[in-house]
Amino acid sequence: MMVIVIGGGWAGCAAALQAKKCGAEVLIIEKTDMLLGLGNVGGIIRNNGRWTAAEEMIALGGGDLFEIADRCARHKNVEFPGHKHATLYDVNIIEAEVRKYLYSMGINIMFENRVVDVEMEGRRIKSVYLHDGTEIEGDVFIETTGSTGPIGNCLRYGNGCSMCILRCPSYGPRISISMRAGVEDLQGLRGDESFGAMSGSCKIEKDSLSKELQEKLDKDGVVIIPVPKEDINLDKLKNKVCQQYALKEFAENIVLLDTGHAKLMTSYYPLEKLRKIPGFERARFIDPYSGGKANSIRYLSMAPRDNHMKVIGIDNLFVGGEKSGLFVGHTEAIVTGTLAGYNAVRSGLGLNLVELPTSLAVGDIIKFENESKQTIEGLKQRYTFAGAIYFERMKELNLYITDVEKIRKKVEGLFLKDFFKNKII
Amino acid sequence: MFKFVDCIDAGTEYCPCYLAEKGECIICSQLRGRVFCDCLNWKGTCIYQEYTWNNNKAKKAREFKEYTVKKLNMIRDDLILMEVSVNPYLAKQLNNIGAFVFLKRPKSPQCFATPVSIMKSDIKNNIITLAIKILGVKTKDILECKDKIEIKGPYWNGVQGQIFIKNLKNSEVLISARGVAAAPCVMLANKLKKSNNNVVVILDKGRSNENFAKKEFLDLGCKVYDVDMIKYSNYTLKEELKQLIIELMRKHDFKVTVSGGSDEFHRLYLNFIYSMDKDIKFVTINNSLMTCGEGVCGSCQLKLNNGQIIRGCKQQYNPAEVFINIKGDVNI
Repeated sequence: MMVIVIGGGWAGCAAALQAKKCGAEVLIIEKTDMLLGLGNVGGIIRNNGRWTAAEEMIALGGGDLFEIADRCARHKNVEFPGHKHATLYDVNIIEAEVRKYLYSMGINIMFENRVVDVEMEGRRIKSVYLHDGTEIEGDVFIETTGSTGPIGNCLRYGNGCSMCILRCPSYGPRISISMRAGVEDLQGLRGDESFGAMSGSCKIEKDSLSKELQEKLDKDGVVIIPVPKEDINLDKLKNKVCQQYALKEFAENIVLLDTGHAKLMTSYYPLEKLRKIPGFERARFIDPYSGGKANSIRYLSMAPRDNHMKVIGIDNLFVGGEKSGLFVGHTEAIVTGTLAGYNAVRSGLGLNLVELPTSLAVGDIIKFENESKQTIEGLKQRYTFAGAIYFERMKELNLYITDVEKIRKKVEGLFLKDFFKNKII
Repeated sequence: MFKFVDCIDAGTEYCPCYLAEKGECIICSQLRGRVFCDCLNWKGTCIYQEYTWNNNKAKKAREFKEYTVKKLNMIRDDLILMEVSVNPYLAKQLNNIGAFVFLKRPKSPQCFATPVSIMKSDIKNNIITLAIKILGVKTKDILECKDKIEIKGPYWNGVQGQIFIKNLKNSEVLISARGVAAAPCVMLANKLKKSNNNVVVILDKGRSNENFAKKEFLDLGCKVYDVDMIKYSNYTLKEELKQLIIELMRKHDFKVTVSGGSDEFHRLYLNFIYSMDKDIKFVTINNSLMTCGEGVCGSCQLKLNNGQIIRGCKQQYNPAEVFINIKGDVNI
């Protein structure tokens, strides 16, 4: 069975890995020259409820990528406003590690190839077409192209192309494959009901900061500096993707995290203003390159899905990551991607598809997000284990557990220990 | 279904054009009445971004300018070879596959503008060479030119299927050309030779027993064959041409073949080649009727086999999709 994964971000890597572990032949088609997509500028895992989710996945046997991220950690158990026990992985080394692991598992990857269209046979996708017209056939397809960009969207709904890590001008824009297959995309909304949301952090070249800031970042992983009063902009929080970081503290303070670069927890920050802050006199942006004026726009291209991660209306297309909903972050991408990969193989074999139990946070978020986005208010929310409404829900439902042993026992109690390790072909 | 859609002007200094301004951009969904990107045919630049940065207006369109005619030779009673001294910009821009311009006699109204392919562009001396067949009112008007002529350009869609030859290297190409359609084939052969391709040319003897461009192909180092191509009684390919093609295809490994002739000729030629080789790529000289060259007037519109209507002056198509009859019922 040939499973084709379109888009090699965190969700795509997780889906490919899971489909491979289930015993399928797997091909990832990635438009750029790197895996992980926006994960190349991410770096925060295990903060708040993400801790629970990561440990649930490990107990379920789907924790391979979390283990790699843990190995690539620069700092563990970091605290910053509203967030506890975060791990910061090094964005400068993790892509190569994930790539090596995927290759070692026998996953095929085509880089610098952009899927632009599909060939349908009734309600099934028969094949996909690359930008040069090459047709690639598969049995089951997983779309993990995300919902970010491309340039025209970042312009219409943001401040223009900010030259982010996705590098659309170099590798071509994202195409919604589910839409090419005839299923209309859903869009996330902002508070004022306009479309999309802006990525919530940018990266500063660490070497451009003062020695003191660099040393503090290297030592503690986090630096918090008050924003000059006249520059505090609370409105910017409303546009932000990452509602878990859309707290007042993030407008009133500059929060820097050490992910290899200095991760600045705001969508963008005018360079002139930034350089007035002590320690930032020589600061320059490394992602997006135009972090002084803009950042990428997201949530413009979600496919309607069921809780098996199958796209509604297409028999053999599954989705994960942002393509599958208003999820924020790598943990969420890995969780949804893994289930998409697992069910893709089951679907290819004609087996019943599975849902993750809602007694686990990883199952509950998939169901909760799907239900919530049926309403306008729900489309204005973002869903992450790390904060905002979903973390509140985790706490209310006692899904937020930090005791690893307790999580393992819970998964064992559901007879799901190492569930994702089972070969089904 | 994958659609081969391309606009020859996309990403050039003439993009975005009037079509974008009116929500009819060939490439960009955001400039075609949609509010999200669906960029199937990315050409390396975001047209919507260009449009926004250009204050939501089209870029300045090409305009007629007067140039000096250096030479005007009647090489047959209905065929003229013209050399025009142009500016360095135009010479460089026209030194491309598929390059053409609109010509008209100074002071003649715009409706006299006629599209003519560039045979050669000398970028050292800034001289372009054109072959013009005197066919009707517009070309007869050009005959009356003295030392000046008006040119509007550059345009680049004079050859269809450019995707198959733009980056072709160390390969073999067969060109078959008739009459004035040999002129754009000279430019093509020149570019192909520069990329180290072996170019074999079959020319129709026509009325004068030798095509006017034969010397050009020989000078480029192409192997040239002269044959009679068409049996006019039922407009089919002559046996002599078919035998030569069969023989050449046996001897060479052609990856691409170029058809230089009318659309009727393209149809016969492409179907004949396709009956022998299903993998070969086709390039054709663009015979679309053109009036404005900007995708506006509609005279160049044509319907592809899949029902899609395209603008022949700006849009590239895959010639196989237009001329090949898969069922094979073309009388060749």
